[in-house]
Amino acid sequence: MSLTAARLVGGEVGRRVDLELGEAWLIDPASGREGPGEVVVREGILESVVWLDRGTGRGGGIVVAPGFIDLHAHLREPGGADAETIASGLDAAAHGGFTTVCAMPNTTPPIDDAAMVEAALAAAAACGSPVRLLPFGSATAGRAGERLAPLGELAAAGVAGFSDDGSPIQDAQLFRNALAYAGMVGIPLVDHPEDCTLTVGAEANDGLVATILGLRGWPGAAESNAVARDLGLLAEVSREVPGARLHLTHLSTAASLDHVRRAKAAGLPVTCDVTPHHLALTDEWLAGARRWAWEALDDDGGARNPWRDGALVAAPYDSALRVNPPLRSATDAAACGAALADGTVDAIATDHAPHTEVDKDVEFGLARPGIAGIETALGVLLEAVDAGRVSLPRVVEALTSGPASVLGPIVDGLGSLVVGAPADLVVFDRSARWTVAPGSLRTKGHGSPLLGRSLPGRVLLTLAQGRLAFEDAAPV
Amino acid sequence: MSQVLADSIDASGAEVSAATGAHASAWPHRHLLDTDILTWPQIELVMDTAEQMAEIVDRRRPRSEVLRGIGVTNLFYEASTRTRVSFEVAAKHLSADVVNVTAGGSSVEKGESLLDTMRTLEALGTRVLVIRHATSGAPYLVAREFGGSVINAGDGRHAHPTQALGDLYTLRRHLPGGSLLGRKVVILGDVLHSRVARSNLWTLTAAGADVWVCGPATLLRGFEAWAAAGVGGSRRFAVTTDIVAALRDADAVMALRIQQERMSSGLLPSVHEYAARFGLTSERLALAAEGCLVLHPGPMNEGVEIAPDVARGPRSLVTEQVANGVPIRMAVLSLVVSAA
Repeated sequence: MSLTAARLVGGEVGRRVDLELGEAWLIDPASGREGPGEVVVREGILESVVWLDRGTGRGGGIVVAPGFIDLHAHLREPGGADAETIASGLDAAAHGGFTTVCAMPNTTPPIDDAAMVEAALAAAAACGSPVRLLPFGSATAGRAGERLAPLGELAAAGVAGFSDDGSPIQDAQLFRNALAYAGMVGIPLVDHPEDCTLTVGAEANDGLVATILGLRGWPGAAESNAVARDLGLLAEVSREVPGARLHLTHLSTAASLDHVRRAKAAGLPVTCDVTPHHLALTDEWLAGARRWAWEALDDDGGARNPWRDGALVAAPYDSALRVNPPLRSATDAAACGAALADGTVDAIATDHAPHTEVDKDVEFGLARPGIAGIETALGVLLEAVDAGRVSLPRVVEALTSGPASVLGPIVDGLGSLVVGAPADLVVFDRSARWTVAPGSLRTKGHGSPLLGRSLPGRVLLTLAQGRLAFEDAAPV
Repeated sequence: MSQVLADSIDASGAEVSAATGAHASAWPHRHLLDTDILTWPQIELVMDTAEQMAEIVDRRRPRSEVLRGIGVTNLFYEASTRTRVSFEVAAKHLSADVVNVTAGGSSVEKGESLLDTMRTLEALGTRVLVIRHATSGAPYLVAREFGGSVINAGDGRHAHPTQALGDLYTLRRHLPGGSLLGRKVVILGDVLHSRVARSNLWTLTAAGADVWVCGPATLLRGFEAWAAAGVGGSRRFAVTTDIVAALRDADAVMALRIQQERMSSGLLPSVHEYAARFGLTSERLALAAEGCLVLHPGPMNEGVEIAPDVARGPRSLVTEQVANGVPIRMAVLSLVVSAA
């Protein structure tokens, strides 16, 4: 049967699915297996996974993997419904192959008490999407960085992590206390590492591009200094609080990743993620380059000069590229890729950050930071795979069992193909490309930097909790 | 060339036709957002056109018909006297219909977006939008959507192309042979925050000058990397905190304005210390080559970045820089319209 000739299952989102997939390429990082196989789903339950001996090429066509888990997304509800809602965000997630989404608590008002958590979970249930919402709670009250939020109450209400994300705790004493208290209640503290004294007014990665474009520099040290602080505190706290866990999100510099690599070698309970855009895009995009990060490296591993090699093909200052942390150099992007390959990086998280046109289609320095990337993540990562920067199984691992292990027991069984459990998987076609366009995206967020670009890896089907979350409405 | 320009040239006579018509096909840029996109022949075309425009300016009643009936709007989100007036005078010399909009007296105060303001002005007949904005890159956003021409009159720290073209024009008029090839030109002061410096770096290096950038280390942030990466055309692009090395045998010095804000933001200890270490004094100027030219984009803090006797001394071209801004802007206005 040609899988792209017709819909695989059909029907409404949310309905229990029956599916027989003959001969696809299966990837199950939790069991360390990949290869040709067959999958059967009956009434939403993954009835069988059969691994075949004969080969069908190296995963070039239809691929089946566990549903992806995003550790970092902004769904904007409550308070930002023009940019995204829980319903639109989960819909976008399903289109991207994600079946579990961790939502950051920087909503208006912020999610810093149990009632807010319950409201978010109720909104997710009400919207009909089977994609799992795992709310994060604020680490400090009102995300103000002054006193702890009710972490025990938030944990009891079901949060999967604590984070002040884009308003990171600057006070080191308070951060230490948050680590210890979060450890006590068994939930990871998720830090967006940024020393904000170094980023006042910052617009773009400190470097050649920022200098030439006259954008205020955003030094890498703003991140790596905060990482070093966090790890120093973790080393002390973890001696006293065995459950203390630190997760560093969207690391973007070689120095940050070196700190984490050493901390892991020393046995500290730290995990980290990188985003697809920090792996694949660089600051030279701000100047008008549109080549992937790995194409912007010179022979010595340094960043090439796009003013000298004719790489500037688009208008500069596209505010869709304004993001926190900023897009870095090709060298830093390569370090992110190397850290993903060597296991320093546990997960790939999208930092899906949708904004309205009003907030985004303005002067670069006035645009709200953020890239709505949950639907383009897979395509961007497959570009990296196709370029030989990282293997497909490693990418899938960092989207599934990797983030599952960061979250811990709260997502027991997720991120793997578990026979007998509700089917939670994504089916995508490696050989089919799709074009990023407003009409092809489910997010309400405005202005992807990848608009107009063709990406590999069309998602055909996403099943979450045994139910239909997404099916390609326009099969080839 | 657009029909509008062709018509206006017919109406205005041969001298303006010589100024713009003959070269118009060589000018491809509907907008002028920075000098980085200009080839050397295009820069020379601006210079040649400006010389023709200067002849018009020198008449007792300067007037050309090149932009007759064309709406030019000066949209200024930052305070400016000389640049705004210079654009206004230039546009009026070309018979354009000029409107001035400042952020303090329009819907901008009520929170209207830049693109909405642009659409409003376009609907009201603006064909050339001259924009000054505090945010680097803002003119590029406007140019993306605007149907006419956008001229950048200064955006954040990024660019001030008509200033740089005017500076080049001024230097060429005073250097022997009218060439900057191999001439040592020093940009002195707050380079980090200077759109004038950035735009001048492209034009001066394109002209083949030996460009030296000099100032306190805190105000040179990032420029060492730019110098190391290099730019096309120039034999030299040096960055130094050593003012003696920078000024020695210099053919021209461009001093930049130091703003009070640099002290409060911790970049400099004091105005006094800046003046003592980096002020352009006659003693320091004695290190330079005989007849070294002195420029400043204005407004000047006399006694800080430039001593009063230097600012008004025989080598100072500061007033002429202002005057030359008019024919340069006339040239740019006519060229961008010719490409529209």
